[in-house]
Amino acid sequence: MIRLGLRLTVSGGREALVRLVILTAAVGLGVGLLLTAVSATNAVSAQNDRYAWLDTGAPSPSQPGAGGGQNGPAAPLWALVTTDYFNGQTIYRADVAATGPAAPVPPGLPRDPGPGQYYISPALSALLPTAPAGELAGRYPGHQAGLIGQAGLPSPSSLVIVVGRSAAQLEHLPGATEVTSFNTTSPAACNPNNNCVIRGGLGSNGTDFVLSVVALALLLPVLIFIGTATRLSAARREQRFAAMRLVGATPRQISLIAAIESTVAAVAGTAIGFGLFFVLRLPLAAIPFTGQPFFPAELSLSLADIVLVAVGVPAAAAVVARWALRRVNISPLGVTRRVTPLPPRAWRVIPLLAGLADLGFFAVHGKPASNSGQDAAFTVGFALIMIGLVVAGPWLTMAGTRLLARHASRPGTLIAVRRLGDDPRAAFRAVSGLILALFIFTVTAALITTQDTKRVSADYNAAVRNTLVDQFSNVARGVIRSQTASASLPPGAVLTRLRQIPGVQGIVEFHTDPGQTISLPQLALPPGFPPPAAALVSCAQLAATPGLGRCPAGAAVAETTAFLGEAPSGNLAAFTWPAADVPVTRVDSLPLASLNVVTNGSQGTVEQARTVLENAYPTGSGTPYTVGEDRTKGNAALDAYQQLADVIMLTSLTIAGCTLAVSVAGGLAERKRPFSLLRLTGAQLRLLRHVIVLESAVPLLAVAAVAIGIGFGASALYSTMEMQLTLVSPSAAYYALTAVGIVLALAVILATFPLLRRITGPETARSE
Amino acid sequence: MTGGIPGGRPPGPALTGHEVAAAGTPPTIIEARDVVKSFGQTPALRGASIAAGAGEIVAIMGPSGSGKSTLLHCLAGILAPDEGEVWFAGQRLDTLPETRRSEIRRDRFGFVFQSGQLVPELTAEENVALPLLLGGARRAAALKEARPWFGRLGLDGMERRRSGELSGGQAQRVALARGMVARPEVLFADEPTGSLDSVSGELVMSLMTRATREQGTTVILVTHDARVAAYADREVVVRDGTVSALAVASSGAPQ
Repeated sequence: MIRLGLRLTVSGGREALVRLVILTAAVGLGVGLLLTAVSATNAVSAQNDRYAWLDTGAPSPSQPGAGGGQNGPAAPLWALVTTDYFNGQTIYRADVAATGPAAPVPPGLPRDPGPGQYYISPALSALLPTAPAGELAGRYPGHQAGLIGQAGLPSPSSLVIVVGRSAAQLEHLPGATEVTSFNTTSPAACNPNNNCVIRGGLGSNGTDFVLSVVALALLLPVLIFIGTATRLSAARREQRFAAMRLVGATPRQISLIAAIESTVAAVAGTAIGFGLFFVLRLPLAAIPFTGQPFFPAELSLSLADIVLVAVGVPAAAAVVARWALRRVNISPLGVTRRVTPLPPRAWRVIPLLAGLADLGFFAVHGKPASNSGQDAAFTVGFALIMIGLVVAGPWLTMAGTRLLARHASRPGTLIAVRRLGDDPRAAFRAVSGLILALFIFTVTAALITTQDTKRVSADYNAAVRNTLVDQFSNVARGVIRSQTASASLPPGAVLTRLRQIPGVQGIVEFHTDPGQTISLPQLALPPGFPPPAAALVSCAQLAATPGLGRCPAGAAVAETTAFLGEAPSGNLAAFTWPAADVPVTRVDSLPLASLNVVTNGSQGTVEQARTVLENAYPTGSGTPYTVGEDRTKGNAALDAYQQLADVIMLTSLTIAGCTLAVSVAGGLAERKRPFSLLRLTGAQLRLLRHVIVLESAVPLLAVAAVAIGIGFGASALYSTMEMQLTLVSPSAAYYALTAVGIVLALAVILATFPLLRRITGPETARSE
Repeated sequence: MTGGIPGGRPPGPALTGHEVAAAGTPPTIIEARDVVKSFGQTPALRGASIAAGAGEIVAIMGPSGSGKSTLLHCLAGILAPDEGEVWFAGQRLDTLPETRRSEIRRDRFGFVFQSGQLVPELTAEENVALPLLLGGARRAAALKEARPWFGRLGLDGMERRRSGELSGGQAQRVALARGMVARPEVLFADEPTGSLDSVSGELVMSLMTRATREQGTTVILVTHDARVAAYADREVVVRDGTVSALAVASSGAPQ
């Protein structure tokens, strides 16, 4: 029987072969995506762990030597991990000082570097010679002792340096900590109060997020594609099964043959999926969707993953085939069909409403406290809505059909309405992938537009954008929380060296104004945002440095924002800071909030100034950034989400397009005989085209309207609950793209017209 | 006999003794008693009874919609009657589970329907061998058993063709070969010439009657064509869901 099943599967003629190929391709695509998602999750997790050693110890800025969980009084290694920046790239720097031969060694190093030595990553080693010493290499004292091996690198392109220092140099520096071992797994969560130093990688929440997004937004459309391909030529297969039942095949034998057919496609598709994954693994590893590419070996699958997919997918296909046959109940006289199929019932909207209720409940009562609780709440809510759209689709199609039926008078409309009314499930199935894609597109567009209101959008004049800011105060929630030990007045030598750099146009010192915030109408803060911390600046310095604003006439000291990047947007050169009633002498005695080096914006000038500042203040509370660089970094996460959303949209739309094309073409092939008979009786091709378009357009438009509406509704609930923002309408581009997507879908339907002409010729009525 | 073909006819069980009223007719092998069958609100059979003896050819005639095909489907165990009984070779057929009825169809019945009965993915010889394959026969043995039928039915050279490459008459003869290959006790033929021209139809009917008489196979033949019915030993007429008349055919086959 197995041989007979195989024989029927592989030599069933062109139609069966096309079905087998499409089904295999659909399963291959699904398996490829599944494997990619699983391996990406493994890779993100591995990359998180690769950052772990850099997060060893707690960077308590005001308590030097107060380490985190991995330290102790007898620790034989001093370590200070900071981040550095060069031409848009982050450099991870670890200064270490071994206090004895048993000192722990950072991963990837053969030994701890001694004072005057450093180990660097291959990428940084390649970068160093490309820049003048004063712009990059000058930041790292000593000479290169070797390269850091893979074990110490989060990514092949990571810029990492481990600088050897003496214990005497490090032990009194803020942030330096004694460690007896390095972290091997990333901390569960990062916030300023626990042991995360550099917070590299996506973290476990990021992993869960990526997995959830991929699972919901990509795998569901793929499953619909597989389901559509499975139903291809269903009528022809059912006819064949009926013929076999007539000559005595038992239901069990028919189930076995159907299972063999599906399993062959599933096995071939699974093999193709694995092939696809291994072929695409290298290019995929190079995509920096976590900000850094992966080591290709880490985009890998565990044995359990491989066995689960390799055995699970074909087994699932066999089970599904058997289950599907139970539903069609093939008798020796053909498929048992009801004369009048029961229409879809209203209960089908329950999952959709349940999903909305889930999100609505948390929007009203507040989101769960834990990250995992929030993930569960959102994932369940959105999953219910997406599944609900698919379940409710036939009912909505039927509702749309009834509306259309009231105005149906032309024969094409009547035929389409009758068919839609008879089987709204089949009609909706063709467009279900597209409906999901529209929902996903609406949600991502709405949420990203809303999230963009958080985007640091203030635009400044060139002088502000190109000002390199060395921040000495730890500013959070509108107040200066702490001050680094380096926040004294800069030595004259440092200022002189900075001024000697070609392209440096001036230096302005912002001094702390303890406990004060600044409120200006020009700041245009979003509702609920606290006013920024205030700083004091000498009007003489402001006047000598064009572009950063000016003082009111007669004032000696002005009040500014502690961080220049929080100043009112626009051309600051024309802005007048409010006067401060503080003597200049008092200002000079206050600690520095920040040192602002105005540059001409050239990379050389900025990097030279950064090198001078880093050497002068090696343990400043942050790396010196220009205001422009700070904008870029601040928006990087949003850009990454946008990129992820674009990829998901493109992929899900493509899959949905394939589903639609296969479904419409398959539907045509199944009805070629009745259509050809209609043509024989005088119906024009135009009428058949009218039927085809209506059959797809009605469910598409009816359910698309609901999907888009539900998408906005779900996004509004989510943004209220999770982002604490009011939903913002997406840009015109969203509406234009939605229209283009629907037009393209209709174009896919129109593209089947040549097939319609070819397969409904008079010879079909004769030969079928 | 099939020589070890699992799908071949097993030793026949004793007949029930239910016999057609007419004296001298062979013992009844298949019988429907007061069968009632409805499709939804539409009644198809309203208490139809019919019996056929071993080796007998019985034609069921009647106008369209009279219920003659439904009666054949109930006799063949394809449809379960709502009321009444169907007996085959001494056992109640209509109460058997579907799997058992499938096995009886495979091993002891044969079918020739109007159209759409060949599996398009299989060649003609594989179609003929299908009942044997479904019965567990090895492919080579099943094909060996199937091939002689091509010569007997004038289908030489058609063995490797697919159903789409056969004419209507050729396809019906392939279906006849498939219906006969397992040496069935009863052959059910539902409008076997309905889609054929008169010449092809007569060829199919003469081959069918010859083959079934050679093997002693009972034939239940549904037709609305008097010329086809003339090949039968006996005719019954179904009207409005009941067997309303009995008639005896002249000689079994028009000359």
